[in-house]
Amino acid sequence: MLSRVANSICWIARYMERTNGMLRLLRTNYISSQDEVADFSWHSVLRLYSDLPLKQTEQINNHSPKVLEHLILDTNNTASVCNNIYRSRENARAAQDHITKEVWQCLNDYHHLIRDQQIHNQIRYGDPLTAFDTLIQHGMLYYGTVDSTMARGEGFNYLNIGKFLERAILSADMLNINLTELNNNPRPSTDAVEWRYLLYALSGYELYLKTYQGKFETKNVVEQVLYDGNFPHSVLYCLQQLTRNFERLKEESLPDSYAEMEFLIGKTTNHVKYSNIENAGEKSQQIFLQEIRSELFHIATAFNQFYFGNT
Amino acid sequence: MNENLLKGYANNNLIWDEMFDSSQIRSAYKNFVAAIEDLSTEQMNHKDDLAKKLFMSQGITFTVYSSGEGIEKIFPFDIIPRIIKADEWKHIESGIKQRLKALNIFLKDIYHQQFIIKDGIIPGKLIYSCPNFLREMMNVDVPFDIYTHVAGIDLIRDDLGEFYVLEDNLRTPSGVSYMLENRGITYRIFPDLLPRNNVRRVKEYPDLLLKNLMMLANAKTSYPTVVLLSPGIYNSAYFEHTSLARLMGIELVEGSDLVVDNHIVYIKTTKGLKQIDVIYRRVDDEFLDPLVFRSDSILGASGIYSAYRKGNVAIVNAMGNGVADDKAVYAYVPEMIKYYLNEEPILKNVPTYQLEIPEYRKMVFEKMNEMVIKRTNESGGYGMLIGNAATEEQIEAFKIAIEADPRNFIAQPIINLSSAPCYINGRLQPRRVDLRPFALYGPNGIDIVPGGLTRVALREGSLVVNSSQGGGSKDTWVLG
Repeated sequence: MLSRVANSICWIARYMERTNGMLRLLRTNYISSQDEVADFSWHSVLRLYSDLPLKQTEQINNHSPKVLEHLILDTNNTASVCNNIYRSRENARAAQDHITKEVWQCLNDYHHLIRDQQIHNQIRYGDPLTAFDTLIQHGMLYYGTVDSTMARGEGFNYLNIGKFLERAILSADMLNINLTELNNNPRPSTDAVEWRYLLYALSGYELYLKTYQGKFETKNVVEQVLYDGNFPHSVLYCLQQLTRNFERLKEESLPDSYAEMEFLIGKTTNHVKYSNIENAGEKSQQIFLQEIRSELFHIATAFNQFYFGNT
Repeated sequence: MNENLLKGYANNNLIWDEMFDSSQIRSAYKNFVAAIEDLSTEQMNHKDDLAKKLFMSQGITFTVYSSGEGIEKIFPFDIIPRIIKADEWKHIESGIKQRLKALNIFLKDIYHQQFIIKDGIIPGKLIYSCPNFLREMMNVDVPFDIYTHVAGIDLIRDDLGEFYVLEDNLRTPSGVSYMLENRGITYRIFPDLLPRNNVRRVKEYPDLLLKNLMMLANAKTSYPTVVLLSPGIYNSAYFEHTSLARLMGIELVEGSDLVVDNHIVYIKTTKGLKQIDVIYRRVDDEFLDPLVFRSDSILGASGIYSAYRKGNVAIVNAMGNGVADDKAVYAYVPEMIKYYLNEEPILKNVPTYQLEIPEYRKMVFEKMNEMVIKRTNESGGYGMLIGNAATEEQIEAFKIAIEADPRNFIAQPIINLSSAPCYINGRLQPRRVDLRPFALYGPNGIDIVPGGLTRVALREGSLVVNSSQGGGSKDTWVLG
C-alpha cells in the first residue's frame, strides 16, 4: 500500500474516534450541566477542545448552547466536531480506492449530516440531546460499516491501528482531566458524580456497576479505565488491540521498520500492563498518565517515520 | 396525460431538435415520451430531487475551495436522457475511428520523419509555433506506436442534423466518470426504461481501459503494476480519478508518491519502493517532470521523462499530444485523413479560419458578429468570443489581441448547436447540447463504448456547454 494512503487511512480512523469520543464527552457534560445548573462550568472541556483565548472562553463558559455551537459546529475552531468529520472525509477522499464504497459513503453522509440545518437548530435552540444521539448513532454506523465491509487487509489494519491509538490517548486524557479536577478542588461529596460522568462518556458505566457493585472510588475507576481487559475503552485493551493489528502487518513490512515499531508498542503495552498505579496517590497517577501519553505519541511519530514515509 | 410537460415546447425551425421533428416526436424518443407523458408534475419533480440527492449522497461532486473549506457542488444533471439511434451511432463510431487513426499516425509522423511537412500538407511553421509541440518527444518511440490511448472527441450537430467534430481532446480528456454515473442514476429514477428501450451498455469502459493499460507493459512483465496519476484532491476532476482507479482496481497515486531511480519509476509503499510499469496520468505534460518541463511543478516526478524515453515506463496518453488537438492544426485534420489513410473524412470539420493568414483575418474582421473566435491553446470555454453575443468593446478588444498574436487565434462560423429537451421548472424546454464519446486506442484497435457525455447549456439561449460556464450533463442512450 502507498505510504501516503496508509497515513490517510490511519487518520480517517483517528478523526472518527476523536469525533465519537468528543461527542460522548460533550453529551455527558451537557447532561450534567442540566443536573446542577448552579455552578456548572464548561471550563475544562473548552480548554481541551477550543483554541479561543482564555478571555473569550470565560464569556461563554456558563452558556451551554454557545459552548456546544462552538465545539460542534464552529468551522473556525480547529478542534470542533465538524472539522474532525471534515478532515476524516478529506482523508477518505484521498484514500477512496482503498476503503470500500460503503465506508466512503458513510463518511460522506456524516459530513452532510453535520451541516444539516435541523441538527444546527437542535443544538442552538432545541434539544441538543436529540442532535447528539443522531450524530453518535451515525458514528456507530461508521464502525459497523467498516467492520462488515472492509476486507481484512492492510487497509483494515491501519484503520484499527488509528482507532485504538486515538482511543488509548482519549481514555488516558479523560482520566487525567478528572484526576486534575479532583486535585485542584477536592469535593469528596460530588466525587462519585464526576466519576459517573466519566464512565458514561467512555460507555463503561454499566460494566463498572456490575464489577464494583456500585461503589464509586477513584481506585476502581482508574483500574477499569487503565487495566480492564474486557472494557473496550481501557488503555490496556486498546494497546493489546493495537499490537494485534500491528502484528498482522508483518508480511507487508520492511523487517527493520517492523522491529522498531514492535519494540515501541511492546514497551508501552508492558509499561501499562506491569504497573499497579490504581493504588498510588493522585499525583503519581497523573505523572504515570503523562508518561503513557507521551509514549503513545511516540508510537504515532514512529509510524510516521517507518511506515508513512514522513521523515 | 400531463398537459404541462410538453406544453409550449418551443421548437425553433432554425435549430435541429433531438426529440422533435417539426411537431412530431422522433422515433428514437417515442418510447421514452410514452413512458413519461402520464407522470404528474409532482412525480417528475420527485425524480428530479431524487437525482440530486443521489449525486450528493454518493459524493459525486466536485469541490470548490474558497475561504479555507471546500464547498461541495454537483455537476448539474438533467434527468431527460439524450437518445441516439443505432444508425446515427454507427456513423459517429466509424467517423471517430477514422479520425483517431489519422491523428495517431500524424503524431508518430510529426515526432519522427515529418513526411506531412515535407510533402507540404501542413506548414512546418504551424507545427513549430504550437506551444504544445514538445521537442523532447522527437524520435522517442512509444509502445505500439500509440499516442492517443484515451480520446474525447467533441461532436455537435448543425441545423440540418449533420454531425461535426468541434474538438479532438487528445491530452487528458475528462468526463467519462459522469458518463458512467449518469447511467447509474438514470436506472434509479426511471426503473425498467433502459431495458425496454434496448439501450446499449457503457459499463465496460473501465475494463477496456484496464485491458489496454495492461497490454502496454506486457512485453516486459506478466504482472504489470498500473497506476493512475492524479494532481490530488484539490483537482476538480478528482472524483473521476478516484472512481476510475476504484473501478479498475489500480493504485491512485500523486506526484509525491513517485520516485525515479536510475531511470526506473517507483512508488513509495509501506513496504518500501515498488516498481511501476504503466502510468495513466491525469496531469498535463508541462507538470510531469520538473527537470524537463516546468521546474516549479510538484505534481509529477523528477526524472519521469527520461524513464519514459528509455521505455522503462509507459505513459498514457503520450506526452506531446497537444500538437494534434491544437485548434489551428485542427483545420488540417481532413487533409491528414486524406493524406495518411487515402479516405474521405466521414465526420465533417467545422470550417476554420486561421487568423495568421491575412486574407482570412480581413474576411473575419468584416463579419465578426457571425463568427466564434477561439484561442488555439485554451479549453473549457475560456478565451473565446461568440460574435453575435458580444459587445462592440469586446469585439474591438479581440481584434487588438488578434493583431498582436495572430497565430494564437482561429475563427469559425457560429454553428447553431442542436437542442434537446431538459426538465426545467416543471416542463420540458429545449437547451443546446453537444456530445463527447470516449475512444480507447489499444494494441488491438479502437473501442468506443456506445454512449458518451452529453453536455448541455442550461442557460436559455446559451451555446456554451462547459461546466465552468453554466453547463450540465445528461445521460446518453445509444439504442441497439
